[in-house]
This record gives sequence, C-alpha cells and structure tokens, in this order.
Amino acid sequence: MRPLLVVLGLSFAGTAANVWLLSAHLPWFLLPDFSFLAIVYAGLFLPGPLGFLAVLPPALFREVTITGPPGTFFLASVAVYFTASEIGRRIFLRAEIFLFLIVAGLLAAESASVLLLLIMTGGNPFSLLRGAEEVVRIAWTSLLAVFLFLDLSGRWQRIQE
Amino acid sequence: MVRKFLRKWWRLLLAVALLASAIQFFVRPPEVAPGRIVGEIGTSLFRPFYAGVDFLRRSVSSVWTGYFALVAVSRENADLRKEVAALREQLKESRDAVLENRRLEELLRFSKNLEKRTVGARVVGHDVSPWFQGIFIDGGTEAGVEPGMAVLTPAGAVGRIHRTFSGLSEVILLTDSRFAADVIVERTRVRAIAEGMGGNLCRLKYVSPTQDVVPGDRIVFSGFDGSMPKGILLGTVVSVDAPPEGLFMKIRVVSAVNVLSVEEVLVVLSRPMIPFRRGTP
Repeated sequence: MRPLLVVLGLSFAGTAANVWLLSAHLPWFLLPDFSFLAIVYAGLFLPGPLGFLAVLPPALFREVTITGPPGTFFLASVAVYFTASEIGRRIFLRAEIFLFLIVAGLLAAESASVLLLLIMTGGNPFSLLRGAEEVVRIAWTSLLAVFLFLDLSGRWQRIQE
Repeated sequence: MVRKFLRKWWRLLLAVALLASAIQFFVRPPEVAPGRIVGEIGTSLFRPFYAGVDFLRRSVSSVWTGYFALVAVSRENADLRKEVAALREQLKESRDAVLENRRLEELLRFSKNLEKRTVGARVVGHDVSPWFQGIFIDGGTEAGVEPGMAVLTPAGAVGRIHRTFSGLSEVILLTDSRFAADVIVERTRVRAIAEGMGGNLCRLKYVSPTQDVVPGDRIVFSGFDGSMPKGILLGTVVSVDAPPEGLFMKIRVVSAVNVLSVEEVLVVLSRPMIPFRRGTP
C-alpha cells in the first residue's frame, strides 16, 4: 500500500505544482514530468497488479494536464508502463546509468512519436531551439529519475527488511 | 507455441495495442471520447488544488502586507524604517490591484464593444508538455463554454477552446502548431492561413510573392472560416521572405498578445458557424 501512496503523491503533487504553480515562473524544459516518472517507477519496481493500479492515477493526471487529443495520453501512459515493466523483467540492471538510459530512452521515444504524429497531421512543430530545449528536458528529467528511483527503491527495500 | 509466445510477450503486445489506440485517437478523435469521462474524473481530483493555488496567489501577498501593517500599528515602538517598508509593500499591492482592476475594466469595455455574448475567465494553469501550447482557464461547461469557442483579450486573440469540463477548460493557444485560421492583412486585405509555430510566433501560409505584405503589417482574423470572430487582431508581421524559387512567401507574425503571460481572458460564447467536431482543435 505504501508504494502505491508514494507513487500517487509524487505524481499528483509534482504534476499539480508544475501546471498550476511553477509553469508561469520556470521555463517548460526545466519542469520534470513527475507523472511520467511515477509511471516508469511503477513499471520497473512495482510488480503485478499493484504496479498497474499505481499507474492509473498518474496516467489520468497526464491526460488532464496535457492539451493533446482526448484519451491519447492516458493510453500512451499505460503503454509506457507495460514497456517499462517488460524492460524491468528482461534487461533491467540496477545501476544508475541503466536507470538514466531507460528513462531517457522512454522520454525520447514518446517525444519523437508525438512530434512525428504532429508532423503527419499537418503541424510543423520542429525548430532547432525547441529541439535543444527538449534534449535538456529529457536529460534533466532522467537525471532526477536516477536519484528519485534509487531513493524510493532503497527506502522500500529497508521497509521490507 | 503461440500460447507460449503470448505468455512471454503479452506486456509488450499490450503496450503496442495501447499505442496503436493512442495513435488512432490522436489522428482521428472519436465522436464520443472515453477521454472525456477520464478527464472529468481527473479535473475533479485536481480542482481543489488549482482553486487553492489561485486563491493563495491572490491573497497571500495582501494578508502578508496586512499582517505587517497590523504589527506596525499595535507596536508603538516600531521604527520608521519598518513602517516605510510596510507602506511600500502596501503601495505595491495597491498598484497590483489597480492594474488588475484596469485589466478587468478593459475586458468589460471590450466585451460590450464586441457585440457577442462573452464570459470572463482567469488563467489558472499552463500546459507544461513540450509538444503543445495551451492554458487552463477557470470557466467550464457550467458557464456555457464549449469546444471551438474563441478566447480573446482586448489586445488580440489568445486561442480556441479545446476541451471543457465543469469549472475548467483547456485552451489551444494560437501559437500551437495545431492552430490554424483564416486571416487577412489589414492594410491590403490579402488573405492567408495563419498557423502556430511555437514561441510567440505564427506563420502565414499560401501568400503569393506578388502580394503586398511588408513587416509591420497588422494581421486580423477574417471570420470566413467561422473559427474566430472577424476583425480580431492576431499580430504583426515581423519578417517576409520571398524565396527565388517556390510559390509562396515565408511570413512570420508575432502575436499581439503575449499568450504565455496572459492572466484574464474572454470566451466568446457563440459557436462557430462552420460545424466544429468535438475534441478536435
């Protein structure tokens, strides 16, 4: 129950603070996607139905706070959970660099997919500056994920022991 | 064999199926979106938080100033410097209030001149995703706000309503790459399609090099496509590039309103004349 509450609290407080408190003061690329981190954490560290349950609220928060087409980001977030879960089962090695690469890879894959879809639907969202900002966002969020995941999994392990 | 494969890879297969559904929803949003129910639940969970933050934003500084003033009054030995500091804070607060009043008065005047039914709303949040430019306003279905309605300020257009919930609406800003509308150059009446390109910029499409458009020209909505009210200012042309080959000029327009720092907006409560499909920008 405790990890479930931690994931819920992290995603709710992080997302709400980003959207309703910090967004007017900090540039978008310095605001880490806490709901995304919660989803990847659940995929990697919370096994079974508990992980799936923990993922539903962050997926819901992403759906509400991203102005994308309805339903898209909820489904995409659940897909990210299953992908992270598969990575966790097959190739996940618990070292900082692997955590960093997994989060950065998933963030980059999501970002590239959305950009591709925007271009395919007639938009033209790409610019060099925006690309550079996106790289900063991915790197910063992944770095934060390493500290956050190690801390949370360490605490969880100590409690279990 | 198949069962073994499915048992081994069901997570990945499920992820692929979910992604395929997400892509389908992205490209062709369904008429009855399950996302709406999901969104309603989500917004009702978030409403106390953003209402609280909005309330705090407006009241904390004035409470703080009032507290200092009270302390200054009750303590007779409070030194002059503290009193001056408190008065300065109060003055700053009053200036903020005066500025807010001015903005609201201007909105009201603009709303009366617009000859369309409008409703005022406060900006309560920003979309922080890297792909979209949007804001959240505190007017929703209960105020009669519907998808497709135009969002304006007296200085010019801000965007268009995307999704509505009770007490909250999402607005796609005119600088979002999904925003497009029919516009005209105010001086020469040349028609074009304006499309968002991020930052504070839009581009004008389909303008022939033989047309007369120069930097500094004001761009207004034509109203022909029914998506935005006629005559509302979009922005000013900042660069015109006529490539030696190619059919059209490359024209950049900076929006009249700094869409990311706007605080109060008006929603025009009339539906676009051209049918606007629910859930599409």
